[in-house]
Amino acid sequence: MKNLIVLSFTLTFFPFNVAAENEHSDMHDLMAHLLTPASEAIWESSGYVITEEGEFSLEPKNEEEWERVLYGAKVITESAYLLSIPSRSENRKEWIVFAGLLEEVGEKAFEAAEQKDVEALFKIGAELYQVCVACHQVYMNE
Amino acid sequence: MRKILSLVVVLTLFSLSHTIYGHHAFTAEFDANAPINITGKVVKVEWINPHAWVHVEVQDESKATIWMVEGGTPNTLIRNGLNKNSIKPGTVINVRGYQSKGKLCLPRCIANGRDITFPDGSKVFMGSSGTGAPRDGADPKER
Repeated sequence: MKNLIVLSFTLTFFPFNVAAENEHSDMHDLMAHLLTPASEAIWESSGYVITEEGEFSLEPKNEEEWERVLYGAKVITESAYLLSIPSRSENRKEWIVFAGLLEEVGEKAFEAAEQKDVEALFKIGAELYQVCVACHQVYMNE
Repeated sequence: MRKILSLVVVLTLFSLSHTIYGHHAFTAEFDANAPINITGKVVKVEWINPHAWVHVEVQDESKATIWMVEGGTPNTLIRNGLNKNSIKPGTVINVRGYQSKGKLCLPRCIANGRDITFPDGSKVFMGSSGTGAPRDGADPKER
């Protein structure tokens, strides 16, 4: 919860005059340090490990683990804004579409995490990957 | 001290194997010029996003080697006819695919899987097309 409060506060009072010259990260850093860990929080919150000893669910076991999922979902949602600032999105029509899809997936993940719905999180995790791959296929080699 | 250093190296590589191989383009991590064709016993299945992983124990004359074979997303595999109960631990399968660019096999070998052949002879495409993987005919839906 503490992380969420800090994030909400930061985003609420985020300077509105963010300009191209105020970018603090290049795209690689933004992906590596913001979106990748956030996505991993979603992907690692559901699924199964199956061995000869049995089947083990990866669902969060306590509030702290659920908090990580909520935090990841919120970061994904709000990252759509960071990806959409003019210096990153100008003349990139599809980029904006992908950012919008990311925002939608993040919102769905947050809702599923609030409801502790691991089956929904599993499906949303697949959707999240599809958005990532679709965007990478268009823009990764730029 | 030497043992501790070895342990640190192994643990670092192990954590990297999970970090690096989490989500990526085929060409970033796998070697299209290093095809593999392995047969062994399934010891673990990770039915997770963004990629399912099948761990196969391959026995040769001197030792057993664990291969971590990456598949597509669980959803992709379901569409291809595989579910989390299809690949039971203990089953002997044949896997064709491509080895990772890193070939040290520490702590285990890593590969991108193309198809699995089950003991009854049935074959299922387990990869993801369109991620830069070679067009090798493994995906029956690939045009």
